[in-house]
Amino acid sequence: MADSYLKAVNSGVTKTLAKKLGLPRPAVLRRWAPGQPLTTGPVLVVGGRPGVEDDADRVAAALLGWDLDVRQVPAGSTPDPALRWGAIVAVMTEAQKPTDLSETVLAIGANLRNLAGNGRVVTISRATVAGDAPALSATRNGVDGFLRSLAKELRGGATGNGIQLTEAAQVGDPSVLAALHFFLSSKSAFVDGQLLKVGDGPSWDATDFDWTRPLAGRVAVVTGAARGIGADVARTLSRDGAHVVVVDVPAAGDSLARVANEVGGTALQLDVTAPDAGARILEHARARHGGLHVLVHNAGILRDKLLANMKPEKWDAVIAVNLDAQLRINEYLLGANGFSENPHIVSLASTSGIAGNRGQTNYGFSKAGVIGHTRATAPLIAAVGGTANAVAPGFIETDMTASIPAIARQVARRASSLQQGGQPIDVAEAIAFLASPGSTGVNGQVLRVCGQNLVGQ
Amino acid sequence: MATSKNQTTPPAAEAVIVGGNRIPFARAGGKYSSASNQEMFTAALEGLVARYGLQGERIGEVVGGAVLKHARDFNLVRESVLGSSLSSQTPAYDLQQACATGLEAVVTISNKIKLGQVESGIAGGTDTVSDAPIAVSEGLRRALLAAGHAKTLGARLKAFAAIRPADIAPLTPSTDEPRTGMSMGEHQAVTTATWGITREAQDEIALASHQHLAAAWDSGFFDDLVTPFRGLTRDQNLRGDSTMEKLAGLKPVFGKNLEGTEPTMTAGNSTPLTDGASAVLLASREWAAERNLPVLAKVVDAETAAVDYVHGHEGLLMAPAHAVARLLTRQELTLQDFDFYEIHEAFASTVLTTLAAWEDADYCRTELGLDAPLGSIDRERLNVNGSSVAAGHPFAATGGRIVATAAKLVAERAAETGRPARALISVCAAGGLGVAAIIESAADGSVSTGSTSATGSTSATGSVSTGSTSATSTTGTEA
Amino acid sequence: MTVEELGQIPPLGGSFVRGASGSGVAAARRVLPGSDAPQTTTLPDTTLRVAEVSTSGDDVARRLAEYERLVGERPSETMPAGFLHVLGFPLATALMVRPEFPLPLLGMVHVENHVSLFRPVELGESVTVTARAEGLRGHRRGTQVDLVTDVTVVGDDSPAYTGVSTYLAKGVHIAPAPEETERPEFVPPLPTARWRLDARVGKAYATVSGDRNPIHVSVLGAKAFGFPRTIAHGMYTAARALAQVGPARGDAYDWDVQFARPVVLPGVVDVSVRPGTDGVWSITGWNARKRLLHLNGSVTPR
Repeated sequence: MADSYLKAVNSGVTKTLAKKLGLPRPAVLRRWAPGQPLTTGPVLVVGGRPGVEDDADRVAAALLGWDLDVRQVPAGSTPDPALRWGAIVAVMTEAQKPTDLSETVLAIGANLRNLAGNGRVVTISRATVAGDAPALSATRNGVDGFLRSLAKELRGGATGNGIQLTEAAQVGDPSVLAALHFFLSSKSAFVDGQLLKVGDGPSWDATDFDWTRPLAGRVAVVTGAARGIGADVARTLSRDGAHVVVVDVPAAGDSLARVANEVGGTALQLDVTAPDAGARILEHARARHGGLHVLVHNAGILRDKLLANMKPEKWDAVIAVNLDAQLRINEYLLGANGFSENPHIVSLASTSGIAGNRGQTNYGFSKAGVIGHTRATAPLIAAVGGTANAVAPGFIETDMTASIPAIARQVARRASSLQQGGQPIDVAEAIAFLASPGSTGVNGQVLRVCGQNLVGQ
Repeated sequence: MATSKNQTTPPAAEAVIVGGNRIPFARAGGKYSSASNQEMFTAALEGLVARYGLQGERIGEVVGGAVLKHARDFNLVRESVLGSSLSSQTPAYDLQQACATGLEAVVTISNKIKLGQVESGIAGGTDTVSDAPIAVSEGLRRALLAAGHAKTLGARLKAFAAIRPADIAPLTPSTDEPRTGMSMGEHQAVTTATWGITREAQDEIALASHQHLAAAWDSGFFDDLVTPFRGLTRDQNLRGDSTMEKLAGLKPVFGKNLEGTEPTMTAGNSTPLTDGASAVLLASREWAAERNLPVLAKVVDAETAAVDYVHGHEGLLMAPAHAVARLLTRQELTLQDFDFYEIHEAFASTVLTTLAAWEDADYCRTELGLDAPLGSIDRERLNVNGSSVAAGHPFAATGGRIVATAAKLVAERAAETGRPARALISVCAAGGLGVAAIIESAADGSVSTGSTSATGSTSATGSVSTGSTSATSTTGTEA
Repeated sequence: MTVEELGQIPPLGGSFVRGASGSGVAAARRVLPGSDAPQTTTLPDTTLRVAEVSTSGDDVARRLAEYERLVGERPSETMPAGFLHVLGFPLATALMVRPEFPLPLLGMVHVENHVSLFRPVELGESVTVTARAEGLRGHRRGTQVDLVTDVTVVGDDSPAYTGVSTYLAKGVHIAPAPEETERPEFVPPLPTARWRLDARVGKAYATVSGDRNPIHVSVLGAKAFGFPRTIAHGMYTAARALAQVGPARGDAYDWDVQFARPVVLPGVVDVSVRPGTDGVWSITGWNARKRLLHLNGSVTPR
């Protein structure tokens, strides 16, 4: 979908005009392309203590392993004005009390003006856990508010996201590094102001991992794949090396076939609300591709109506497709031991399910329900070495949002820190990350892809 | 494939049906009115490629055709392949046998597979009456050709001067038999009168066709056989709410001036003009297994027949009666040895005259050379998921529709019962032609078919793999 | 009977002009009430003969191809019997336009045609063509006459082809009419074919056959003789029926046709061309809607 405002303020006369008028000037976001470097410039790692082998050193070492230009600078130093950081990584895992972080956050601040367009700020801290001492809990929770506020100050397409280590997770864990890799990369272009909890998860060998084909050899099923976000998810998973089974209702079969042929996958015409949907998905994935590793519950419908005017069929249809179908298919696959090793379920939630939306009681229920079952499914699937996560898109430029009236659409676009709507590919990238072996430490989480929308968390 | 020789000569390779795909059939001038044959056939191919993950695959051969064809479509099938996601190294050729084009393509491909000349193939067909070629009149055509050949301006002007005003009117394609000038419907009206087929019996066939097809759509039977096209998601001609009363109210359109008979053939019990395309994927069992593809059925045998309709000796559409008789004799089967009968409903009465012929001792003796009539069939097994009266009949596309439907039917039946299931297919065609084929479930234990349970597939294996002789005896009596 | 040798087959155009003027005078003289008794009530005792007519020219080949295409014969260099009729027709016409011929040419109706083809005649063979008139006889509605045409391949002793075309001059009563016999009611058989004849069929066959009788080529001409529009040549319908028999008729055959009612153009003719158990092919052409017979006859392989 074209955002003509975004184009206008980034080109020609209208760019100058917008500058003078002080209009919001959303940036053109850097998105992934083959052969692209991970970051746009050198990476500054802050939070380290000189002379001590600490988490910051471990992070820096990992970053060096990705062939990045990694630097650590002495506290209080002023950066070369010409220098443009591709990313600033703040390691805060070892802070015990609030004052421990002063130096680190001020170091970030001192370098913010040197952050390149589409730069990245990533905090790595520890999540609060039951039994934390008050000061420790305050310190760890403080990072939350800090990161979200900082993200709102960033300009030029730069984003700020945080990784929160849970329990026994260590900064060098593959899962933590995978999350860091995602946040540093352009694949997280529309993920902003988010904190992702990463546990140790099942072990995953990151040695010789091909970051360009993280899903090689995996079989992925994507529902609702005929168009929009689902089609981009199929393309992205295929790009990442997966054999993709695209699923959509028989009536959408022609678009579905186009997507299948584009990604070299197979098309399965199936209504996900069919009682045997789980069985047929499993049958197809096993018979044709030899297994089932990734399931993306993307199929969803909108039937907006104020609750006072809600018809039973509008309520029921939304619940059936957006929520019940996911529940039933998950239940079947888990019950039938249908998943292959290290499976990943990624379900589409929505910011409407987090913050609510007028006219979307049915949709909001279904999407909040998705978040609910994702949390509950997490321990069940962890038992077989897998994960269940949700992605909550905010305003994404799709056929669905194109039908929103023009003014409301413009308002919705600007109502985020990135001052624009996201693209389906942004959601797809987040899903691909959660479907990749590197995300084994991320379980039961909801990752928002909303450009840090003003509503909700 | 004489069964008695199977013991002494090594059995030929099997040709199995992996699956099929078609686009919903549209009424003439309906949803596909701007779609060309090439676009429709490409769409049918693309759906097949998507269903079976054949992107970039070099298929042994793609064979198909169209009955109504533009001159520019001389290489219709190859051009469609080039526009598809198949490997561009996939060879193709056009074949045309009127309404039997699709089935003949299946037979041709399966024979090549059995011979080992190809390991895989796609058979199909497409037809549009909405985008049919329109020719210039014979007078204009000759004048234009003469002008083209003329060497001087004078000669060219002379050629143009030969054009008469009446020559300007275009020639629309006709479904009349060239040799008799009678439309297929008029021919069948004569056959219907000869066999004394009643209006009511024809309407019953038509009603069953609509009801069966509607039920099949509702049950999701076509979910893995059809890919929507141009916004059409079901067969446009289908009227699931049709009734005997509605059908009885229609005026006869054929056979209105036949001496001594009341006309019985209406638009309701005849096949409407339709646009559409279909494709069937066939392969050797090994090729399918290497690609983890399902195996629904195998092509057992086929027979093509033709009748002398020009001088009224036989009905235009009676050739399948002959083809089936010869096929049964060769396969040492009886007409009753089938779980399903797919008899193409060119008209409801085509089915009935064919059935009547098989039941008629005199006809079977004098025309088919049989000692005894072939007998009647269990009508519950006839066109169980509807046929052309309801679905429509885009001429060359019908064979692919029927073969894919029958293949899925036998696969499902075999999975349910654990025993092989067999279907008889017959398609009549213009020119007094008819093609019949036998297909048989061919589930292999290692590859499950459709939604069948693993148990069903496994238990079916033993008896199927022993070849047609033993399979015959096991199912021959199960009716 | 005297044999009158002609150097070539006479062109038909001239015959029709002469026939038209001559027959007008003759008709007035012979038929109109109160006029004198007819001068002639006997047939000319003359056989017209053209020896060694070549059929090897390109023009004959082209005409044969046109003829075959028009009547539905398969392309062949063996001349169908109908084409031999066409070859001999101008000679028969030349006889009919002679002043001593007792019946007017124009308005004469072709009622029957009997052909025996004894051996095939190939394109390129030289033939001798003769024509004579026989059998002047009365009919309920006028007077009939047989025009007999023989085509003999040069070097043969006997004709390859003998055609007898029976014409009726309506309203010309110069011979006593026989007793009226009751005609059986026509019951149409089941059709084996249908001809949709467009208005151009008359002109097309006229071009190929040379028979430009106005009733076939001009609506005004047809109206002048009481037809609503032009009518198809009887021999065109007979030739189509013969073609419809196809190769089963063999190299030599008898081809007999009676023309009951003319086919008004454009028109649809239902046709039955079927073999009988005795090997004789029956030919019937009729109007199914009106249940009226146009032609019937037979083709008998020799």
